[in-house]
Amino acid sequence: MSLLALAVVLSPMALAAQTLTVNAAGDALRVQARNFSFLEGPVLTRLKEGRSVRIDFELTVLSKPEGPTVKQAVQGFTVSFDLWEERFAVSRTGSPPRSISHLRANDAESWCLENLTMSISSLGIGRDTPFWLRLVYRVQDLAPVAEDPGQRYTLQALIDRLSRRREEADLAKSVSGGPFRLP
Amino acid sequence: MRTLALLVLLLGLPCVAANAQESDAPEGAIVDSVEMSGFSPYSLSPGLQKEMDTLVGAPLRRERLNELVSRIEGEQPEMVAAVRSVARPDGKAHVIFLVARISDDTDLSENINARYIVESVDLEGPVSDISQQLRDDLQKLVGKRLDTEEAEQLKERLENELPGRDVARRISKGSEAGRIRVVFEVVDEPWIRFAPTRSKLVYHSEQGWSGALDIPFSRSSSRHRFTAGFIFNDIDELIEEYSGFRLGFESRKIGTDKLGVRLDFARFNETWEDATLSALALNPTIPEPCRNRLTFEPTVTFAFTPSVRLTGGVSLSDMESLTHAPDSQKANAWVAGISADHTWRAQDGSASQSLEASYGLRAAVEGLDSDLFYKRHLGRASYRYTQGHSEALASISLGYISGQPPLFERFSLGNSTTLRGFDKYDIAPTGGERMFHSSIEYRYHHVGVFFDTGSVWDRDVDAKIRYSTGFGVNNDNFFLLLGFPLNGDDATPIFMTGVRF
Repeated sequence: MSLLALAVVLSPMALAAQTLTVNAAGDALRVQARNFSFLEGPVLTRLKEGRSVRIDFELTVLSKPEGPTVKQAVQGFTVSFDLWEERFAVSRTGSPPRSISHLRANDAESWCLENLTMSISSLGIGRDTPFWLRLVYRVQDLAPVAEDPGQRYTLQALIDRLSRRREEADLAKSVSGGPFRLP
Repeated sequence: MRTLALLVLLLGLPCVAANAQESDAPEGAIVDSVEMSGFSPYSLSPGLQKEMDTLVGAPLRRERLNELVSRIEGEQPEMVAAVRSVARPDGKAHVIFLVARISDDTDLSENINARYIVESVDLEGPVSDISQQLRDDLQKLVGKRLDTEEAEQLKERLENELPGRDVARRISKGSEAGRIRVVFEVVDEPWIRFAPTRSKLVYHSEQGWSGALDIPFSRSSSRHRFTAGFIFNDIDELIEEYSGFRLGFESRKIGTDKLGVRLDFARFNETWEDATLSALALNPTIPEPCRNRLTFEPTVTFAFTPSVRLTGGVSLSDMESLTHAPDSQKANAWVAGISADHTWRAQDGSASQSLEASYGLRAAVEGLDSDLFYKRHLGRASYRYTQGHSEALASISLGYISGQPPLFERFSLGNSTTLRGFDKYDIAPTGGERMFHSSIEYRYHHVGVFFDTGSVWDRDVDAKIRYSTGFGVNNDNFFLLLGFPLNGDDATPIFMTGVRF
């Protein structure tokens, strides 16, 4: 990794339970998460069937463990599995687009987190001010639901999607950590 | 973009080469030059650069070229590489490595397997109904890079030709490196289907707004579904204007695909139009209106085939009197019904016909602790023919009630779906015990004209057949119609609009 990790400041009290760590590269705040695998189970099955999976990440900075949101960043990724190379490819959605291939599962997971950044200067947090982080991922559109093309843009389709999303709650994961301090 | 276009050309090599003047160099031809396009070879590791240099002067070996492609991609994971060898007139080979950024290609960004050539397209599952035209179009994927968008469109066409069935698309390795198989997997339609949701927001210029929202909690492939429904106000469906909630649980597989169960619970608060109350005051034989209604309806459905189903159960309703609360009346009835539907499609997929028919009986008889005794018969049939953007629809309904039915069981016509152009409170403010209705409609691009005929009346009273016509936009989910009564007392047209979903 080419980024310059400036510092990681962790609270000693929280150290044992934390799976989240943060680092900074310039003005970008990045997060790393241990035991935060998402290329497994039904997601992996779908990928190995040659289908792609859209995964949305949400990184939230909180002023207290369950407290008000200071800032939130959302980033989507499309993951696919190269059937012949047997490696993962990931594309970051939005602008600017960025893609990478030939990654093992844990490298693909790490790449997603590396590309989920937040501007430190926009946080408005002082160096000594503690903050907490919540990292959430959600797998989208996993259920192979047949839709009537004529109904794709109907409220029925919207409700179907909403209810489907609710059923896929097990395809979402959240991890929180803190307190952290800026370097 | 030039680089990308070249890459596409290279990746599509097998289908392009046959027509190209430059043919593939044969295996073993001496390589006289190596070119890398779209990327600087000096960005590669020295070892890999050296490997590529050693190609010149050596016999062409495709296996080795493919290894080098993999190494390029391994060193440059944000890029995708391809190789082509072109035969020179002197029999030697010119090798071109072409490298492009993945994020420059939408298809590759969506699915990295879009770089591979489709070797075959297979259909799995019950696919006998698929038109030859669609089968031919599916095979057109073969020999090209996988076009995700085109494959999705074909999947949607499959779903369109196979209503009620789930279609999934997957990819697997082909018989040789760089080739893939595309498989469209069709899952057979369930023998018992979930009931359609009854969500709507409807406006009728004489009756006002009606709104209901059903929220299903299930995915379509699930065996079970729970539905929570909220009726904000519904004056469109029955004589009574009601609001409240309904809860439903459905299972379409109880041990076997042929057996399903449904439990419905509803609680409605009723209000009544002045026209209805006035008419009721003049006809004491009709049961009194209620303030609220509590209904529990468990039913079991048995499917003889995926198209024919038999339903039986019981409907238990408790109605609190509007004028003598907390007195209440019970309307408990056995419920039985049979329904059938089928769709026929032309082989070329250009036209389809669908037919639906049902008959339902609700019998409140001795033994169910009912205060009201009646038998309600309702038969319906509808036909739809679709060709291109044209649709022709026809439907007929026949209803007959004997005994003393509660108001919610009485038939009514003159809303946003029947006798469009009339107000039901002008036709029969308390509904009727006999009913006949038919409708024919033609639509082109969802703009259509209709002609409705119907009558609702009580026993010992002569039926008056009413006619209405109209036009507007109607695509099943959304409608915006203007209906004209042709033989009503009032010639005022009725405006109707809304969504059903």
